[in-house]
Amino acid sequence: MVRVRVKYFGRIRELMGVREEEYEVGDSTLEDLLMKHIPSRHGNIAGKWMRTMFQAEDRGREGIVVRSNYQIYVNGISCSMAYRLKDGDEVAILPPVGGGGG
Amino acid sequence: MKVKVSEKLDDIKTLLSEIKGVSEEVGAVIIFVGSARGIGNDGGRVLRLEYDAYEEVAVKTLEKIIGDLRDKYGIIDAVVEHRIGQVNVGEDIVYVLVASKHREEGFKAAIEIVERLKREAPIWKKEITDRGARWIENI
Repeated sequence: MVRVRVKYFGRIRELMGVREEEYEVGDSTLEDLLMKHIPSRHGNIAGKWMRTMFQAEDRGREGIVVRSNYQIYVNGISCSMAYRLKDGDEVAILPPVGGGGG
Repeated sequence: MKVKVSEKLDDIKTLLSEIKGVSEEVGAVIIFVGSARGIGNDGGRVLRLEYDAYEEVAVKTLEKIIGDLRDKYGIIDAVVEHRIGQVNVGEDIVYVLVASKHREEGFKAAIEIVERLKREAPIWKKEITDRGARWIENI
């Protein structure tokens, strides 16, 4: 059994309506999680999720492309879409940052 | 080195006193305070700001930035504290303190810490004004 925790931040947290949630993903890559498991659970906003996260219809040799200003971390480290998920992994979806003041 | 990302900032006088005490070589302390403006990016009156952060990674990122600048400028020590959650107009959002032997390297390092914090630390700001609400992102 492969169970992963997904954390959402900023505008993505707002879109998903939750801060974090758990997925039972079986034998899956990070791409499977982002392209299949998450949108299938959140059917009502699946279209917006895909438009927000990915370059439009860009499926070249390297597969789907996450927007360049978005980052996907696994266990605190930036990770490729081909990464094979392991039990206990923490996946974080990071939209463009903008902290600070002044 | 002290880095904190949380709902409450520490007292700035205490932070100043602590950083001055880290070494007898400290001859300058540069302090940057970022606070919540009353006029938003959309020109409207700010009602409040909301900050979200990937706290563990934000702390590690800020620690790396300080480490880099210690090597680059030879600063003695630095403190970075950033708020998360709701921030009202006029309240402080971020403190950066840099202790160095002389002012020049301290000023340079303080500017670079703030610039890199805004670009690299996983911290997000939502601005809520009387004209609407939007996430402020460095795109």
